[in-house]
Formats: sequence, structure tokens, C-alpha cells
Amino acid sequence: MGIKLTLIRQPTVPLEAEVLCPDTLADCSADEIAQLTIYHGKRQLPLSDFFEIEGEKSDEIEIHGDLKKVRWIGRGMSRGRLKIQGDVGMHLGAYMRDGLIEVKGDAGDWIGAEMKKGTIRIDGNAGGQIGAAYRGSRRGMRGGLIHVTGSAGLEVGMRMRRGIIVIGGSTRDFTGLQMKGGTILLGEGAEIRTGAWMNRGTIISLKALEVMPTFGIAIRQFTPPFMPLLAKALVSEGITLPENKSFDLYNGDLAVPGRGELLVLSS
Amino acid sequence: MGGKVTCTLGEVKQRADFIIYWGGNPAECHPRHFSKYTLMQKSKFLPKGRKDRTMVLVDIRETKSVKASDIFLQVRPGKDFELITILRALVKEQQVTDEQIEETGLSREALNDLVSRMKAAKFGCMFFGMGLSMTRGKHMNSAALLTLAAEMNAFTKFVAMPMRGHGNVTGADVIMRWQTGFPFGISFNRGYPRYNPGEFSTIDVLVRGDCDAAFIIGADPGGTMPQPAINHLKRIPTIVLDPHITHTSKLARVHITTAAQGIAAPGTAYRMDEIPMPLKPALKSPYPSDEEVVRRINEAIAKKPFWLPEGSMPQMVTEQV
Repeated sequence: MGIKLTLIRQPTVPLEAEVLCPDTLADCSADEIAQLTIYHGKRQLPLSDFFEIEGEKSDEIEIHGDLKKVRWIGRGMSRGRLKIQGDVGMHLGAYMRDGLIEVKGDAGDWIGAEMKKGTIRIDGNAGGQIGAAYRGSRRGMRGGLIHVTGSAGLEVGMRMRRGIIVIGGSTRDFTGLQMKGGTILLGEGAEIRTGAWMNRGTIISLKALEVMPTFGIAIRQFTPPFMPLLAKALVSEGITLPENKSFDLYNGDLAVPGRGELLVLSS
Repeated sequence: MGGKVTCTLGEVKQRADFIIYWGGNPAECHPRHFSKYTLMQKSKFLPKGRKDRTMVLVDIRETKSVKASDIFLQVRPGKDFELITILRALVKEQQVTDEQIEETGLSREALNDLVSRMKAAKFGCMFFGMGLSMTRGKHMNSAALLTLAAEMNAFTKFVAMPMRGHGNVTGADVIMRWQTGFPFGISFNRGYPRYNPGEFSTIDVLVRGDCDAAFIIGADPGGTMPQPAINHLKRIPTIVLDPHITHTSKLARVHITTAAQGIAAPGTAYRMDEIPMPLKPALKSPYPSDEEVVRRINEAIAKKPFWLPEGSMPQMVTEQV
């Protein structure tokens, strides 16, 4: 039996609830959970002021409600399962170390920022800076998988180091900005400046997109040998890649100069 | 990763023999910039003044500043980031094809000439305006130019500086920076400064409706910000401190008229190169200064009970659980 939380009052200013994390809740009795501190703006309030709580001592957590203004859910989680029914706010699963987050709804910016391991699955759209590095930080996401079925915003995978980001829909500008490694898979392409200033890493687009002028074409009609391996790794996550497709490979960004790969489906 | 390589306008006046204006129109927006600092002044190092200096203007259209420039580069709108990135590649002698260069609306000859002149300069300076920092790409456009300036220091001395306007905006940045370590986009809700533009910057906070009150000093967001932000300012209690009745005053709950800084109130203003300049009032005003109003509000707040529960401290948001 897991823990079920339901939002009973809509916050008027951002509600910072980093205690909504399996690591914290797994050791707490029902009374202790109700007394955990959350921050409504600058004010410290008990969790029970905003959430109705059912269950105790479990790392299987379910959260219901419109959580658009609730931030930092699942910060640094290292185990368990977090299921969210409804929209969710910024910094979901930031610094995550392991476990699973599933969202049925839209998510905000900075999901999985600087995460190390684990899986985040968003059944909806997401905001910008997915798996990114925080401002002033050198490296973003260092492992794990983020899967967004819908579209995403700006600077997806900014400065990411390892791991996989799969976006089903389209993304906006600066996808893979200053990327240092890892893989970004774009189902519906991206707007402009994809892979700007990238160092290493791979961006795969299943739709034609505008390539930065500082990317050089390396080879056309090319089937990367790692694609079947990537497809195999993603099958267990419920993502199917189209088979036997050929790609145009671009290398860049020359300005850095970097050795990143940009694979765009051949027309 | 970034950072700003910069200097004072005094150094520009004395030494800069190569000047680039990017996305700005100084002839009309900063009319004394040429004559006081960048072009006309003679110095020990540049005895012939204007003849010793080269001025390059990069913009999307011909403005009045073109007349003052030696080289005018007309970049295709929205291609500034691409152009700067190509320049970064050319500076490092990377292979960029003619086709790729033509995307930006410029020729290879023009860019090669620019790069060789940049490398040959003794002291280069780049000034960038709103045409760069407020178009698509925003902070990354500025970051691109600042990075180019930083990378040029492998060859010669190069600096970059934003062309600021609107009174004391530089002052706000500088003060925030030495007090908190960050220039803008700061939240104090956990009791310590946290920096995250996009999350805590004014327009984003207002558009998302994340604040329940607004206190505005010396700015007119009602005239410049997008409509959803203005709508939110109308919804929440907004307090404006301004010498004039502004667009924002009209939608605010409270407007406090203050004395005009530098005319009727003393203070310090920061020049665009972050040099503090003392202001001496020439006139007397019946209104209090901004500083006095803020101080009195602070005193009134101090009388209220402290908002944290006794003996508790807000928790920091860190990587650790």
C-alpha cells in the first residue's frame, strides 16, 4: 500500500515541496508526513495544509491534483516510484539519483535537471531546460532517461553529460546547447539553433530540421551502427524507433570546436 | 563557459583602436558616445583620434550610425547568433562553407576581412545593444558575443560591453551583484539568494502569476512588458515609486510620487561601464526621495512580527535529501 496525496488547496504563489520525495516519505508515519515543512512563498507550512494524505511508510507515492505551482517534487530521489496525476511544476526530479517518476499531464521547466540515474516519464508536454545544468553549473544530466511524449521548450539537454532524453513532439530553440555527451532523440524535430556550441554527444532528429551554419556535413544516407542498440535499449521503456532509416550526419559545433553528432533523417 | 571581459570607458577612450557596435544605433540612442569615448577623442596611444580608430557597425538595417562607421555589415534579421558563432569558428580557422556564411547575409570576404582586422587590432571593444540582446535567442545572443570577446584574447586585447540606457539600470545590476552575488532574477524566499533567470526574473514571474504583490521603483513595466504580465500587475496589489505618473501608476493600487534622482534628490548612478557617478541635486522638491520612502517602509515592516516561526530557519534547496 503506497501513499496517496491529493492537493486540496490551490497555492497562490509557488509551493516548494522538495519533501514530496520517496526518500523522505518512506520513513515517516502518517502524522510525521502531515507535519513535514513545505514553503508557500516564504512561509513555512505543514504538508497537511495543502494535501490530503492517505497511507504511510512507503516509497510508492501517488500525487493527484493541479500541481502547476508545486516545485521541486522528487528532488534528489534515490528509490521508489512517484506517480503524478495532473500537471506539475518546475524542477521535477532535479538531482534525481534513481527511481521512477511518471506524470500524466504537463510538466514545467527544469525537469530532471542534473539528474544522475533513474527514469522520468511525462505523458504530456514539458517546459524548457530538460535535463539541463543549473545556471553557473558545468554539467547537466549525468545519466538516466527522460521521456516526454509531447513537445518541449527551450534549451533541452543544456550542457548534459550522459543519459538519454527522448522527446516525442517538437522542441524549441537551442536544443542540446553546449552538450557534452549523451543522446537526445527528437521525434518531431526542433526549431532553430539545434546543437549550438555542442562539444560531444548525439542529437537524433526523426524529422528534417534547420542545421546551424557551423555544422559540417560528414556523410549522407548513413545508417548509424548504434541505432539497433539504442532501439533495443529503449524498447524496455516502451519507445519504438523506426527501423532501417538512413540519416544525414553533421558534425559540430565548429565554433567550440566540438565533435558532436547531429543525425537528421534523410529526405 | 561565459563571463564578461570588460573595461571602463576611460580605457576605451585612451586605447581602443577597433570598435564594433552590434545591434545598436548609438548615433541616435547614445549621441555622446562617439564624441566622448569611442571615436573622436585623441589620446597618447591614439594621437590622430578618429583616423587611428576603425569602427564596424553590425545591424539589420541602415541607421544614422552607418555614416559614422568605416565598415557596415548588414546581417539578416535573426541571424546574429549564427553570425557570431561563424566568427568564433573563423577565428579558430575552422572550415565553414560559403553557403553557410551566405545564410547570414554576408560574404566570406567581408567576414575574413573582419576577422583579420580583429586579430590585428591592438585593443578591440565590442558594444552590443538591444538589437542583439532583445531579439530571438536573447541571453544566448549576448553570451555569444561575450564569448567571442573572451576568445579573441588569445590573439589580442578584446573587451565587450552592453549599451545600457534608461537611467540607472546598471546600478541595479551592480548593487544586486555585490550584495547577493547575482545581478538579477533572484529569490530570497528561502532566506538566502537563489539565482535562476527564467524562474525568478520579473517578466516570467508576472506572466506565470507567481507573485501576490509587486513593488516597482523607477521602472515602467506597464509600458514595456507583455500583456499577460500587465494583466497580472492589475490583479495584484502593485505599488509604484516614480516622479511621474506612468502607465504602471495607472494600473497600480498605490502610487507614491518621489523626487527625481539627480535633479531634486542626491544619489549615485552607475555609468554603462559600472563606474559610480555621484549626483548632486540642482533643485529642491516637495517630494521625498526613493531612498527615504523605502527606508520608511522598511521601518514600518520591522515593527511587524517576524514571519518565521520562533527558532526555525528555512531549509536550503540542495542536491542532498
